[in-house]
Amino acid sequence: MSLIQSATREITLNLHSRPGARLITLLMVALAFVVFNTFLIISWNLQSIMDREENLVGMEVFLRRDISPGAGRVIGDLISSLQGVKSVYYVSPEEAEALFRAELPGRTDLLDVMGNDFRLPASLQITFDTEAMNQGRMSELSRAIGAIEGVEEAVYGENYLPGLIKTVTTIRRLVILLGIVLVSSISLVVFYTVRLSVVRRSLTVDIMRIVGAPWWFIRIPFVVEGIFMGVTGSAGGLILAAIVSKVLSSAVTHRFMPLHWMTLVILLGAVTGTIGALAGSYEKER
Amino acid sequence: MLVTMGGVRLSYGRWPALDNVDMEIRRGEFLVISGPSGAGKTTLLRLVWMGEKPDSGLVEVIGFRSDRIRKRELPRLRRKIGIVFQDFRLLHARTVFDNVALPLQVSGTGSRVVQKRVISLLARMGLSHRRNSFPYELSGGEQQRVAIARAMVGHPVILLADEPTGNLDPEVSREVIELLLEINRGGTTVVMATHDPRQVPAGKGRFLFLDKGVLRGADRWSELDQDS
Ligand SMILES: Nc1ncnc2c1ncn2[C@@H]1O[C@H](COP(=O)(O)OP(=O)(O)O)[C@@H](O)[C@H]1O
Ligand SMILES: [Mg+2]
Repeated sequence: MSLIQSATREITLNLHSRPGARLITLLMVALAFVVFNTFLIISWNLQSIMDREENLVGMEVFLRRDISPGAGRVIGDLISSLQGVKSVYYVSPEEAEALFRAELPGRTDLLDVMGNDFRLPASLQITFDTEAMNQGRMSELSRAIGAIEGVEEAVYGENYLPGLIKTVTTIRRLVILLGIVLVSSISLVVFYTVRLSVVRRSLTVDIMRIVGAPWWFIRIPFVVEGIFMGVTGSAGGLILAAIVSKVLSSAVTHRFMPLHWMTLVILLGAVTGTIGALAGSYEKER
Repeated sequence: MLVTMGGVRLSYGRWPALDNVDMEIRRGEFLVISGPSGAGKTTLLRLVWMGEKPDSGLVEVIGFRSDRIRKRELPRLRRKIGIVFQDFRLLHARTVFDNVALPLQVSGTGSRVVQKRVISLLARMGLSHRRNSFPYELSGGEQQRVAIARAMVGHPVILLADEPTGNLDPEVSREVIELLLEINRGGTTVVMATHDPRQVPAGKGRFLFLDKGVLRGADRWSELDQDS
């Protein structure tokens, strides 16, 4: 217990010594995180758009007029068993007419002109797992569904939607790539800062070694210093990004990232800080 | 035997700092290792606290062997060794009390025991009134006494003193040597490295002479005088 108390004291002493020396590092970490956070926010907003327009990332399957509601549902079950299909919803002719009237109130005359005997075809509204979807898979599915007995036609938004999916996929890859660059560059920055700190305090380190301090005891103030820089840097990056987001909110409608993403950003800061600090405070056998 | 060295060779770069050294340190003795600057005295002491390992040969210190010791065992060895340097190596941001308490604090000794032992040791060394001073407020002699107190607070088996009087004037040097002799009389083995063996009265210790990394035995400093 007392050893932990002593270690805590060493950690505090180290953090209090020359806080100015860490300022540049903190600023660099924070700025790197601002760039990263920007991409996270773009990614988050595109994802929300896609979630909102999910019915568009789907397919409308029109059934032949001679298909009964029961048979239509059987076809629906068949389609929902296909890979990548998230949900299937059966729309009866009556429901289709109601929807048409509700969505295009100015054009109800069209239906009236067709006469009382006219009925809109029954259809299946299909949504897909957006993660797994791309242009190729979409047309493949549309061909498979079109070939099912009783299906008249399968229609999907060929141009717009796969484009959105592609953009989101690209942004997501960019975020991952940026994350890797971030982890390695921030680790490096923290590494050099901690190394400098070790050199600056080499007399203390030597004395600690000579009086028989365990290696973890000597090292932990530096490791904590690294974690501290990672966490405060990433938190600073979040605050800066939030300020920028606030300023831009009138020009570009968007939302800031959700809480659990923010937690992950801080965690990423802690992890990078730890990696840099562990490497920076490593010493060979002495 | 507390320490034995056999066939020890250690080089920094091209030239050997120590060459084929065979020696031992006996329990309870006052050993003086002398030799000109650059002879390898500091290196020899570093081998004892295992701040360095020999390129070849073997060093054995109170049961720890240089070829077998693990990194995590080094602290256990060092808690049994007290070390004093020419430049004192005190932590300037900490009080005399904290400097002396350091070896106990890093080994997890309870704070009440630390308090008791440090205070009584400072009293015995005549440093009680300096307890809350910082090292830069002390004279050289006082700083070295603090360093010796730090080295002794953990009751080490061996006290290593590397040119302990190198930064002190003759009067204070005599006091420090007297303190080391007193510590030795108390039962602690003392090893002192110095370029000037005449500081230690003949007959008060065993004298070894190092020259360009080669060790030579000598029983009395007068013989060394004729040698050099
Ligand atoms: N860390 C080091 N790197 C390179 N050479 C060193 C190092 N330490 C000591 N030496 C060399 O080893 C020799 C012995 O040095 P040292 O043991 O310090 O001698 P002394 O303490 O007797 O003055 C000297 O030639 C010195 O230059
Ligand atoms: Mg020396």
